[in-house]
Amino acid sequence: MLRLEGVEIAYGDAPALFDVSVHVDRGELVAIVGPNGAGKTTLVNAIARLLPFRKGSMHFQGTDVTKISPQAMGAHGIAVIPEGRRLFTQMTVEENLDMGCYRRNSRAFRDQSLAEVYALFPILRERRHQISGTMSGGQQQMVAIARALMSRPEVLLIDEPSLGLAPIMVSQVFEIIQKIHRGGMSILLIEQNVNKSLDVAERAYVLDCGRLIAEGAPSELRSRPEIAGAYLGHASP
Amino acid sequence: MVKNLTLAGMPRMARTRASYIFGVGLFAALAVFGSLPFFQPPAFVESFLYLIFFWIALATSWTILSGFSGYVSFGHGTFYGIGIYSVARLSEHMPLTAAILLAGILSAVVAIVIGAIVFRIQHLRGELFALLTLASTFILSTIVLNTPIDGGPGVSLLVSVPSLFGSQMSTLYLMGMSVALLSVAVAYSVQYSSLGRGLFAVADDESVAEAQGIPTFAYKLAAFAISAFLAGVAGGIHALFISYVTVGETFSITVPLYVLLMSVLGGTRHWAGPCIGATLIASATYLFVSGDYALVTKIAIGATLVVATLVMPGGIMGVVSRFRRINVDQTTAVAGEGKPISQPPGVGPAGASPESVLLKCEGISLAFSGLRALSQVSFEVRENEILGLVGPNGSGKSTLINVISGFYRPDEGHVFLEGRDVAYIGGHRVARAGIARTYQIPRPFARLSVRENVELAAMFGAAASNPQRAADEADYWLAFVGLADRADALPSEINLHQRKFLELARALATQPRLIMLDEVLAGLTPPEVSKAIDMVRRIRDTGTSIIFVEHNMRAVMELSDRLIVINQGKKIADGPPRQVMNQDDVVSAYLGVPHVAA
Amino acid sequence: MNANLLAQSALSGLFSGGLYALLGLGLSLSWRFLRIINLSHFAMIFLAAYLTYQCTAIWKINPYLVPLFLIPLFFVVAALQQLAIIRFGIDEFGSIVATFGVTIVVEALLQLIWSADFLRLETDHLKGSMVLGSLLVPWADAFMFMCAVTTCVGAWGLLRFTYIGKALRANVENPAIASIFGVQSRRLSLLVAGSAGGLAAFGGVFIALLFALTPSQMYSWFGVIFATVIMGGLGSPLGVLVAGLLVGVSESFAMALVAPSWAPIVPFTLMVSLLTLRPGRI
Repeated sequence: MLRLEGVEIAYGDAPALFDVSVHVDRGELVAIVGPNGAGKTTLVNAIARLLPFRKGSMHFQGTDVTKISPQAMGAHGIAVIPEGRRLFTQMTVEENLDMGCYRRNSRAFRDQSLAEVYALFPILRERRHQISGTMSGGQQQMVAIARALMSRPEVLLIDEPSLGLAPIMVSQVFEIIQKIHRGGMSILLIEQNVNKSLDVAERAYVLDCGRLIAEGAPSELRSRPEIAGAYLGHASP
Repeated sequence: MVKNLTLAGMPRMARTRASYIFGVGLFAALAVFGSLPFFQPPAFVESFLYLIFFWIALATSWTILSGFSGYVSFGHGTFYGIGIYSVARLSEHMPLTAAILLAGILSAVVAIVIGAIVFRIQHLRGELFALLTLASTFILSTIVLNTPIDGGPGVSLLVSVPSLFGSQMSTLYLMGMSVALLSVAVAYSVQYSSLGRGLFAVADDESVAEAQGIPTFAYKLAAFAISAFLAGVAGGIHALFISYVTVGETFSITVPLYVLLMSVLGGTRHWAGPCIGATLIASATYLFVSGDYALVTKIAIGATLVVATLVMPGGIMGVVSRFRRINVDQTTAVAGEGKPISQPPGVGPAGASPESVLLKCEGISLAFSGLRALSQVSFEVRENEILGLVGPNGSGKSTLINVISGFYRPDEGHVFLEGRDVAYIGGHRVARAGIARTYQIPRPFARLSVRENVELAAMFGAAASNPQRAADEADYWLAFVGLADRADALPSEINLHQRKFLELARALATQPRLIMLDEVLAGLTPPEVSKAIDMVRRIRDTGTSIIFVEHNMRAVMELSDRLIVINQGKKIADGPPRQVMNQDDVVSAYLGVPHVAA
Repeated sequence: MNANLLAQSALSGLFSGGLYALLGLGLSLSWRFLRIINLSHFAMIFLAAYLTYQCTAIWKINPYLVPLFLIPLFFVVAALQQLAIIRFGIDEFGSIVATFGVTIVVEALLQLIWSADFLRLETDHLKGSMVLGSLLVPWADAFMFMCAVTTCVGAWGLLRFTYIGKALRANVENPAIASIFGVQSRRLSLLVAGSAGGLAAFGGVFIALLFALTPSQMYSWFGVIFATVIMGGLGSPLGVLVAGLLVGVSESFAMALVAPSWAPIVPFTLMVSLLTLRPGRI
């Protein structure tokens, strides 16, 4: 469904990603894990088309989307939930959700989408007139996810949903991601929290120093020493 | 808005020679213009030149604060007005020179009072400063209008100006000339003094300037006072020139807007800019004073202003300096090569015992609008130690650095540098006490050259060198980080990896006791990383302690003598690197708490 | 001072406050949503006022029709100016200088065409006053006040409830994220600039209706309008309305209770105290 092939990204003359090939099939939940500074955010920005590819291509449902603008991503059905949530903090919850269905084709389904999203996050219905910036981190993450769902995407790209959240909230957010996935959504999850990601993912990649160093089923990856090495700077703990 | 104008626009070797030339030029101007009345020219010549001098003085004085520091004042009319009314009211009671001087002093005092209030406002944005100063003009004009200072009908000056060379106009002309040349001389010396350099840094990035040890508040206040003093004196002389003053004329929008216009046209970041701008615009205005000509001139001025903003954002001097800098680059590129690296005076391995504590943080807590960013963090940094500071994203590392560097004040806790609590003394004092930092995303002063960026740090940091020595030290540190051949480039002209090393050179040039490196390795290629790691070791060898914040765990393990780990704003581990990274809670902080099943 | 006089001065304060809000609204919107401090807003207002004079007094066009073509015309002109500002990438400070240049040019042109003499628009429409109890209410002022309130409330509603309004607010907070959701900031910025131009035209019509015109008079509005805009909170139409009324009424009281010449100090003292005590509001 979403397929990146041989992608190389550089900031000016400093390369940040080397030969990265990733794919997500329909209905799949794929995780990309790696320590900070491994190039995860670069990869997300590349998929969101905020960074130009130096090499490589990206296809979505068979169409070449290597060169489209970030604005066009949503129109193609790819929704990005950015790192740090990036809500419109001075606007209410419902106004944020409205921004999710700003595009004309998703505007038509606004009421239906809103009902679905509120069913998924009952707390947001209660708080729909609250200014989103005044909510807790976990609730803000819910708004961010809900906002992305409002555009009725085909695939969801979630960047570091656990960032800055208390452990209990992290668990909740991961449960929600799993729930959305069970509803049939294809999801690409980019996370530094290895254990949680591997718990929910069907397949995972490990990214370190701008390269994919491992790929496979979570159960298989868990036992691989590369992960601990990448994260903790030494061989297996 | 000036894009390509470096401080001097010339290499520092030429600096002494340049100030000599400036001095000669100033005396030449004094001699030429000063001898004019001797030839008894027609009065209109003198009055025309007087008006040009008057505008040069006003525009130049405005530029000293607003051009150099970037704080645009719309309130220059306030200080000009204080000058006008001081002389109008005081000249009967005291000698003229005393009244004019007093006019300047009164203006400066008012500026200090206004500045002390508005510069205290946290995160004062430029446009708020502009509006506050504009408001001050309106308030002052209302007060003058409604009190016996004026009262409504205007004030006629009864005092008569003494005649020199047989004409009062000559006297006024000479006074105007004096204040104009004085303003230009002041602007020149401010530009090349540490005050000027500090102001230029403020214009580019005020919080970095503060972190580099520049007392930004005091500098802005000083520039404001100097600017107001000169405007007050110019206003005082102008009161004599017009001899009948009214509130409507004095406090009209003309003065604040014309000085801005002149300065922007000429170039706001160079002493000569307002001089050129004022000469052009004032000439155009006073040459065509009658009827439709005046209107056409006005249209031309307006159009020039629009076009100048669009295509020449640095003003005339911006264009000149850019042109000169290109030429300079070509000449010094050869001269700079192969220079031996010599130790700057005062730098060398410190003789401190390695076990003594340099920095001690005690129970630091900080919350942002209820969110706890740091809670009860305590740790020590020893002399000559590399302390690794790690933790997952958003764990509070950057906040901690901001607290230690004095950018944030903690809610509780203390930061002791060699026993002295530096947690609440303000950023520039922390820098002067010997704590330097780099920024994760390099934040060089964009309109200063690479060398000037480092010079500034040497001038204001713990070393606080004079400009001449700072230049030598800048060269030393640029060579140390391998940027000597890019010294005359602008930060935008070097690549990310070089900008990171510029950050390092800048921090080192303050000759700190402790340097905090915030993710210097991020975004570097593997060969660059190993170069940087080697550099960090060499920094330690100069006797500096290091707090090393980094995501690249291999580099951290390789470099750190000791490691502390922060998670959720709390310190969760402290000790030898290998031991710390095997601790269960550290592992789970990084990899996440495994589910029960796992 | 009797109660009737006080009430009358409160009323006239409300009226001038409504005008402040109407004139300040466009400035406030373009400052907040475009990051442009558009000094030429004042020039546009006076240009519109002179055009209204020309149309009504000389060409005898019904004054109610004048806004119908002036507003679209000014919409286009302001949008074109915004296009130039985007094209040259002018920042906030640059915008002050460049738009001041435009202001000077327009002022000189007005003087070339209509001279510096005071012009007073005489029209049979909206003449005289109605009597409400003991209060005298001039028709023209009342009509202007109604329009000002309607405009501000309308602008508030548009910002609050429409997709375009939400997109504007989202875009000013985080343009990158807003663009991901399909917000086209360039198109929006032309819309905002154009609307501000339209508001200038609308305000100009009332300036022509209520005041004698001379080009240099445009500068005398700078201070009080900026004070209103700042106090109202940028980009907040209801805030601008309330601030305008507050300024108008307090000025009017200062005139009645102290002396007319003290009035200008009121808005600025209010503004300065607000800025120094609560700078975060803007």
